[in-house]
Amino acid sequence: MPRILGYDRQPGADRTGGSIARRSRRDILLAAAAAGTAALPRFSHAQGGAPPKPDRIVVNASGGSMTSNLRRFYFSEYERQHGIRVVDTSPVDFGKLRAMVASGNPEWTVTEIGGQDAMRAVELNLLEPIDISIVDLSGFPAMARQSHIYVGATSSTALGYRTDAFPDGSHPKGWAEFWDVRRFPGARSLRNHPVDNLEFALLADGVALDKIYPIDMDRAFRKLDEIRPHIAVWWTTGAQPAQMLVDREVVLASGWNGRFFELTRRGAPVNTDFTGGSLKTSAWGIPRGTRNAYWGQQLFRTMTNPRLQAAYATELSYAGLNPQTISFVPEDIRPLLPAAPANLAKQFWMDLAWWTENGARAQERWNRWMLQR
Amino acid sequence: MSSPGDSRRTTARRRETALFLLAVPALLLLGIIFAWPVLRLLAMSVEDGTLANFEKATLDELYLYVLFDSVKIAAMVMAICLLVAYPVAFWLSRAGRWGVALGMFALLLPFWTSVLVRTYAWLVLLGRNGVVNRWLRDAGLIDAPLPLLHNTSGVLIGMVHVLLPYMVFPIYASLLRIDPDLSRAAEGLGAPAWRSFLRVTFPLSLPGVSAGCALVFVLSLGFFITPALLGGGRVIMVSMLIEQQVREFLDWPFAAALSTVLLVATLAIYALIGRITRGARHA
Repeated sequence: MPRILGYDRQPGADRTGGSIARRSRRDILLAAAAAGTAALPRFSHAQGGAPPKPDRIVVNASGGSMTSNLRRFYFSEYERQHGIRVVDTSPVDFGKLRAMVASGNPEWTVTEIGGQDAMRAVELNLLEPIDISIVDLSGFPAMARQSHIYVGATSSTALGYRTDAFPDGSHPKGWAEFWDVRRFPGARSLRNHPVDNLEFALLADGVALDKIYPIDMDRAFRKLDEIRPHIAVWWTTGAQPAQMLVDREVVLASGWNGRFFELTRRGAPVNTDFTGGSLKTSAWGIPRGTRNAYWGQQLFRTMTNPRLQAAYATELSYAGLNPQTISFVPEDIRPLLPAAPANLAKQFWMDLAWWTENGARAQERWNRWMLQR
Repeated sequence: MSSPGDSRRTTARRRETALFLLAVPALLLLGIIFAWPVLRLLAMSVEDGTLANFEKATLDELYLYVLFDSVKIAAMVMAICLLVAYPVAFWLSRAGRWGVALGMFALLLPFWTSVLVRTYAWLVLLGRNGVVNRWLRDAGLIDAPLPLLHNTSGVLIGMVHVLLPYMVFPIYASLLRIDPDLSRAAEGLGAPAWRSFLRVTFPLSLPGVSAGCALVFVLSLGFFITPALLGGGRVIMVSMLIEQQVREFLDWPFAAALSTVLLVATLAIYALIGRITRGARHA
């Protein structure tokens, strides 16, 4: 049965339309170091005892089902544990964050930060540093241990395939095999956007995972020329690749792993291969000068709880980066999570810095390339 | 000394002033929500004091090509709509009470459904394994699925479906206004039905045709979601480029320049349609 999916976007990574993911850790740290020197030394509450409890904190997130899931898995636990009500607001708005911090009395205790704005928020010194005496990040992967940004859930743009077209693990693994139309015949779909695709093309052309950036656009587009006649559809919305796989419009498609996850869990003949997947994370911060910053740090502490992260990931596939999380996830779900260690190892973190710098140029070239007949 | 003619003129002028005052609220509203933003848009496109944005929008072959393509698709949608809508409008204008009710229902029901829902419905119908291709295959008419989706034909089907009522209603309205005695007189004078249609009914319905064409064309040029979903990435409309600039690259001045070029092109073609149909009427 064909299913009609709505016009919506992937939660987390792609809320701004998906052009840009998160910057590499090194860039964030460099910026944080620059911003941090200006900041006053921080008092660590862990030694001094907790400040008085407010009756509520305000958490700003993207709203909709994303927020209701955050409430279900994290906020409710926080409220139970501390007796502080979590009031949620939306949408994520960088301009508002900036204005709030400038006013000296931010309404938000904690806010999600979209796309490349995490980087800018740190550069503009809009955020309190993460207090690692409260938010224990030891053992987290390096890219999650940032000075001012709490790195939330992970998602990935990965390779979805129909299990009836490629049974018993005979599906293409990674982009070189996706490009191999003779060994793996069938209609394919990629996103109508340079983000991810340039990276995938380079991987298909034999570039190593850690050598993707800076992207060699000439080489990427040359490789894209090869696959172009075999792409039946260039998709635009996150719902499309999932629906096209279900409708057998295509047998292979790049897409947001959460979409494929949903189908796999509901028993559709669709699965995900994470080889060469493009990882993204959601970003959170505490607006500088907010009244209950300490209780915001406590919310991050709740959000790092591996059991809660596991419950969230089991439902939505977007796992947090606590290394223990995976052991609390049912075994059959683990291979479907982008943040599972085995999957992390074969993917790359999309470089937000590169895309912020080169996005417009890449898009213009992409449009031109698209229009060639 | 005022003559009776003078006072009549004064009354007429007064009436005119009164009517104008009645229109003031609407004009103000249009000024605030339409004219002012358009002016702001224009101003934004030349914000940096140069015409660089316009140069890029009108000289770069990429943008020219997309603009040309958009105009081509809009013209095709307009032509197909006209071919499909005229017979429907003609039938409606001659139909009985039940026929009109049925026709209106069939036209208006999709009209009230969200464009997005209808576009997704076309995905289900036109796909490789969609309803249409399955029927055709089951009927033995085709061997391989027809490429109905993710190309220009998909975009045309989807857009014609959405825009058809905008063509039917103006034509229907102008057909209703034609005095039926005129074609009766033509036939009474010995003209066969087709000649009476060609020489009497059709020319008199041209205002409706012109209005319908202009509406459909203008709406098509700015279409966004239907070509984005049914075009499979192969069809790029100007509106998609504008959205890209606004949402992804935050290059609002360039988006403003593209929008202005689109607006000017639309107005030019709108004027052209008016001129052609007016010319045809006087011929």
